[in-house]
Amino acid sequence: MTPTNVEAIAAADRKIVTFILGKQVFGIDMKSLIEIREWEEPTPLPSVPHFIRGVTNLRGTVVPVVGLSERLGWEPSVLHSRSCILVVNISGKRAGFLVDHVADIIPIDDADIQPAPDVEVGEQGIISGLVQVPNKIQAGDEASTESGTMVLLLDLEALNVTGHLDLAA
Amino acid sequence: MSDELDEIQAIFFEECAEGLATAEEGLSAMAAGDVSSEVIAGVFRAVHSIKGGSGAFGHAALLAFSHRFENVLDEVRGGKIVPTPEVTKTMLAAFDLLSDHVAAAQGHAGLPNDAEMLVELDRILETKGASAGGAAPAAAPAPVEAAPVADEMGFVPVVVELDDFDADPFGFEPVGVSLEDFDAPAPTLGGWIIRFRPSRAAMANGAEPMFVIRELEESGARVIGVDSVSLPDLRDLDPEESYLEWTLAMPAETEESVIRDCFDFVAPDSKIEIAREDVPQAAPVVVETAAVAEVPVVEAAPADAAVAPSAPVAVAAPAPKAAAPATEGKTVEAAQTIRVDLLKLDLLLNLVGELVIRGSILNDRLSPRDQERVELPELARLTREIQDNVMSLRAQPIRQAFSRVPRMLRDLSAETGKQVILETTGEMTEVDKGVIEKIGDPLTHMIRNAVDHGVESPAERIAAGKSPEGTIRLSAEQKGARIFVRVSDDGRGINRERVRAKAIEKGIISADAVLSNEEIDQLICAPGFSTAETISNISGRGVGMDVVRSNVEALGGRVEIHSTPGEGTTFTMALPLTLAILDGMIVRFAEQRYVLPLANVIEAVRPEAGQVQPMTPTSEVMELRGSYLPVKRLSEMFGLAANDPRSPEDSLVIIVDSEAGNVGLMVDAIDDRREVVIKSLDENLHPIRGIGGATILGDGSIALILDIDALLSGASHSNTKYTPKGIAA
Repeated sequence: MTPTNVEAIAAADRKIVTFILGKQVFGIDMKSLIEIREWEEPTPLPSVPHFIRGVTNLRGTVVPVVGLSERLGWEPSVLHSRSCILVVNISGKRAGFLVDHVADIIPIDDADIQPAPDVEVGEQGIISGLVQVPNKIQAGDEASTESGTMVLLLDLEALNVTGHLDLAA
Repeated sequence: MSDELDEIQAIFFEECAEGLATAEEGLSAMAAGDVSSEVIAGVFRAVHSIKGGSGAFGHAALLAFSHRFENVLDEVRGGKIVPTPEVTKTMLAAFDLLSDHVAAAQGHAGLPNDAEMLVELDRILETKGASAGGAAPAAAPAPVEAAPVADEMGFVPVVVELDDFDADPFGFEPVGVSLEDFDAPAPTLGGWIIRFRPSRAAMANGAEPMFVIRELEESGARVIGVDSVSLPDLRDLDPEESYLEWTLAMPAETEESVIRDCFDFVAPDSKIEIAREDVPQAAPVVVETAAVAEVPVVEAAPADAAVAPSAPVAVAAPAPKAAAPATEGKTVEAAQTIRVDLLKLDLLLNLVGELVIRGSILNDRLSPRDQERVELPELARLTREIQDNVMSLRAQPIRQAFSRVPRMLRDLSAETGKQVILETTGEMTEVDKGVIEKIGDPLTHMIRNAVDHGVESPAERIAAGKSPEGTIRLSAEQKGARIFVRVSDDGRGINRERVRAKAIEKGIISADAVLSNEEIDQLICAPGFSTAETISNISGRGVGMDVVRSNVEALGGRVEIHSTPGEGTTFTMALPLTLAILDGMIVRFAEQRYVLPLANVIEAVRPEAGQVQPMTPTSEVMELRGSYLPVKRLSEMFGLAANDPRSPEDSLVIIVDSEAGNVGLMVDAIDDRREVVIKSLDENLHPIRGIGGATILGDGSIALILDIDALLSGASHSNTKYTPKGIAA
């Protein structure tokens, strides 16, 4: 996808980019997306949380690469040919997320977003809502039902991957 | 639309910040005794444009307050209110409130309570600044009255300060020397001749020359000529260009600032000439708007001569006046300037960095013969030149960081009852903006320390045979690739006995440690030395000095302390000129490349069998020319150790100089030595202890830059895995 393309779509109404991580379909706001890159082994960093896989060179800026699966508390993603990095903008900072593959760009209506059920997930706010989209995403069987596929909307801010961590000096 | 408005508003706030800085600087100068008309006019202009903008953007509270403030300043400028120390003090307090108002308008803070200050400002307006009712309405601008008024206002001690001034070319101007500036213009002065030709940029910005001319006419000007020589033929006419030049005449008694004000909102590259007609002493002053402030200096010269005989304090006036343009650089910048968004400069620097990197790729890939053939050396030279120039764009005089010090000292003096004179040198030394931004904090701590712990109370000083006022010298100088910023005082010096005792008590050193004087002095920068309770019971130094050291080290600099008991203490910060480029050695371990700052590297050694030996299960030492050095395996420190560690004989040990003494760092190999462009990690992530940043190598991959001091002093923590807040792992 070329940058112009991305911009053109972003200019439309509210859109989300959906991607697959394990057996779940996630979505992030199109506006946060900067680009999608092929997986490339990042340079490892010492003394960082395990989910930060390292840093990579994004046209001259050093950008952290986050294992989103680890960040969400699941097993680390297994790398394969469709693995890719979603480079996003989180309140002015850039970060790359390793995901299994990017699925689609879908327009959604704010009214269709349901609040995430208050289940015991350990962390509040990471899933900002759920939305059902027509059944065209090929994900794991669990995700899709007859009426459609459940997409978990991620709140990038709540992931707090680029924020200043409490480093014990 | 609203985005656009936000953008314009952002520019306004940027200008506010600049205006506040100018106003603060001017008011500080006034408080220090420099009440010359250019300083006052500078403060007035700053507050005036804040007022203008706040009206345009509908910040009512800010508008109301700045308006009232401006009224007072206008009277001061017009000589109707004498800027006595009391008046200046009130204006400094008003300035603080103005800053709060600007912050409130930006939404950074709540609306400040300005009711009291408004009353105070009104009172000054009514009484014309007299502290006791009725005393000074007579403080009118008549020259004859200048001398008596000076006496009445208590300017006599000025004589003492003049001595100080002689000793220090950068000192402050005595109060009162500039009273003559409030004189009515000498009758010999001719009328004003104003030439105005708006630039193309002004037209493009929607400037309307007619408005300016009308405003001038309202102030008494009349158009005496329109120059249409450059008007082209109709077919060549560019409707966006401006071809006309107006000449206006203005009565002699008009204040120059009134004329200047009319041009306040005209783009700076427009032609604006304001000159006196037929004045033999003062040559016609021709300035571009960027140099506006220069004018009053020239203009004041004849007035000095006229008043000198009648007012004793005025004798010294010409000297400080001459010194003023040299030291107060900001107001007399003769060069044309342009405001550039810092982000754009950063981007440019980044791109040039990329260019340098591409250059090194070519350098790596081409054979020496091919390099010559494509003139690579020439390209490299050009690239280097562009890089130097881009870096110099970000360079700013360090006085930006120094400008807050006088104000701080005033507050500190009031707080502690100690008298302090500030001497500043080298404030025009240029440093990268990033460095300037980051030395503010350490500088504050150092000044605070000098006053709190260095300078004695006046009584103590007199008892010690010193003058009651302490002197703090603040200096900056560039030597090679470093800049040295010094804060020295003539106070009591470091009390080494107490520092030592405190350090033993805090467990920083053992009771039987043998330390040199220098080592004891360094203790005050030790983490944990300065804690809250030490403030009250230790009379040496130490509060916050660990903060100074860590901040300076984070910049790639170091702190030196030199103290002589009874005579004073000097703190020196040695800082890199720029945070953007580093001379580095590229080393390899754990299949990654890293950059070691060359400044830390002493030598590289390939150990022979048995030269590196374990000392404890987790530590190793190396024998080098008869002495033993600790050796660290970097791959282990970074948690990247392979299962099968390399033998020392297959590795290289790089001896580095660090705060912790000389240490050997074990790496697999040395790749290269080169200048690297530093990219910050915290731009997109957060700072990582032991890593000073990253750079991009010739092949586009990233190499981390090691921060040796942080790495070695924090070695025991470096393997800690951090858990971010809020994650149930």
